[in-house]
Amino acid sequence: MTMVTYQAKNLLAQVSAGLDLEVSFSQAMKGLGFSPQLAHILWLPLPMLLVLVAALIGVLVTVWLERKISAAAQQRIGPEYAGALGILQPMADGLKLLVKEDVIPAKADSLLFTLGPVLVLVPVILSWLIVPFGQNLLISNVGIGIFLWISLSSIQPIGLLMSGYASNNKYSLLGGLRAAAQSISYEIPLALAVLAVVMMSNSLSTVDIVDQQNNAGFLSWNIWRQPVGFLIFWICALAECERLPFDLPEAEEELVAGYQTEYAGMKFALFYLGSYINLILSALLVSVLYLGGWGFPIPVELLANWLNQSIDAPIIQIITGSLGIVMTVIKAYLLVFLAILLRWTTPRVRIDQLLDLGWKFLLPISLVNLLFTAALKLVFPTFFGG
Amino acid sequence: MLRFLKKVTSYASDAVKAANYLTQGLAVTFDHMRRRPITIQYPYEKLIPSERYRGRIHYEFDKCIACEVCVRVCPINLPVVDWVMNKETKKKELRNYSIDFGVCIFCGNCVEYCPTNCLSMTEEYELATFDRHNLNYDNVALGRLPTNVTTDPSVKALRELAYLPQGTMDPHDVPTTQTRAGKLPTEMLELMNQSSSKNKSNESVADSAQIEEKKKQ
Repeated sequence: MTMVTYQAKNLLAQVSAGLDLEVSFSQAMKGLGFSPQLAHILWLPLPMLLVLVAALIGVLVTVWLERKISAAAQQRIGPEYAGALGILQPMADGLKLLVKEDVIPAKADSLLFTLGPVLVLVPVILSWLIVPFGQNLLISNVGIGIFLWISLSSIQPIGLLMSGYASNNKYSLLGGLRAAAQSISYEIPLALAVLAVVMMSNSLSTVDIVDQQNNAGFLSWNIWRQPVGFLIFWICALAECERLPFDLPEAEEELVAGYQTEYAGMKFALFYLGSYINLILSALLVSVLYLGGWGFPIPVELLANWLNQSIDAPIIQIITGSLGIVMTVIKAYLLVFLAILLRWTTPRVRIDQLLDLGWKFLLPISLVNLLFTAALKLVFPTFFGG
Repeated sequence: MLRFLKKVTSYASDAVKAANYLTQGLAVTFDHMRRRPITIQYPYEKLIPSERYRGRIHYEFDKCIACEVCVRVCPINLPVVDWVMNKETKKKELRNYSIDFGVCIFCGNCVEYCPTNCLSMTEEYELATFDRHNLNYDNVALGRLPTNVTTDPSVKALRELAYLPQGTMDPHDVPTTQTRAGKLPTEMLELMNQSSSKNKSNESVADSAQIEEKKKQ
């Protein structure tokens, strides 16, 4: 009940619905003489394709950044010859993997071996469904939003375990088991950290979560109200992505490459793609949940008023829409940069330390954080989304 | 209750300390990002080896007296000295000499102990071959002049950090006229000579002549 009224209030509060491309598209199609249903069907694949392309380009940029920043942190130059500043290096990597022989080991379970990487990649790409780049700039504003992401991300360890088992290799099996153990132990604090945010914004939808953070610019971002939750979420996100302090499943010094050991060519590329898409996705979700998503540090309404412009004017809408996309991407890439820097700063934890950190530190802290948020919500309903 | 609180505080202080160390580490990594890359683009650019560099060993067949001191001082008795006793002249006659650089550890003992200075260390270090047996150099191969990075037209020779002018960190685009920080060995020798001639001004002139002689060598 409260949720419904809140959403109603929210809708009323929003004077501007922001840029809605679907409405303009269907209007344009109507002008061309198509029925609204046909326009809708024609519209459906467009945002999906766009987001898929955006994710892939994001991966290319991230791979390039990872290599360049790693090089800078180690006083090296990094890729230099493939394109200007080596910008085409990830393309070259991808092309190499594309034309490599696709090896399936003789004693591997070929069905599970092929299914594994697909099961790792598909949920990650599906999770992009709920990543908002603006008020209406997302594939689908599903009501269960962030919960959908949490449930999708728990499919991933099944794929990892599957490929680890199917490889018929001790290193792969160990890597797969570690990946499963890690994902299970970090999923819970992650979900609890998200729950605290959800409790404050009274909604699971990512759009509502961002909207609720953008009343007063950067001052109303969730990071100020949920600093502990932010840290927990970031640590857990790194663990879910198997980034360096927690890259035990593929620890090359001990496990060769973990569950990826037997993979080559395009199947390996799927893992590679999956891990980087997951990293960008996590960074995007951190920015959505804690850093105000597409919100500019100063509210755009305020800026528009100051410039004597109506927020609903088409030009202003386009400007604010693109500003929103740029802000989301900037915030996400700052977090990616932090992840890369952390990679060269922190040593890898041991498996017992990893599980200790997950179960004995993050879980109780996130529970306390949740209870504390609930208490604060009861005491200061205006600040904590009563 | 008190014990529990103590535990909680120590746990919290541990966490704070860990976070502190983490930020320190991040600061170090971040600081490294603004440092200049130390990369040498290898096949196109090469560092000039220092004068004490222990590279491939050069050998002069005509100077060798086949005394086998190099074999005795070698940690693994590596040099193969193939000589026969000439009964008529009652002298050793050297036929072949070889060192296997696949086994050599470039310690330089042989060079140090050779009584006739027929062995010397060069600055050559690119010894890669397709077959390890090709690393077994005979006296002809050992007698070849070493390759030199400074005279190779296809290579940009770069000075090592210690050989750069004072305050310079980047070896690229440093003019060859600029000498390294500190004094060159020849300058040091001159200074030593001056001071010694001052001290021993009343001593015989022959002494300084001897020093002059040494300098020429």
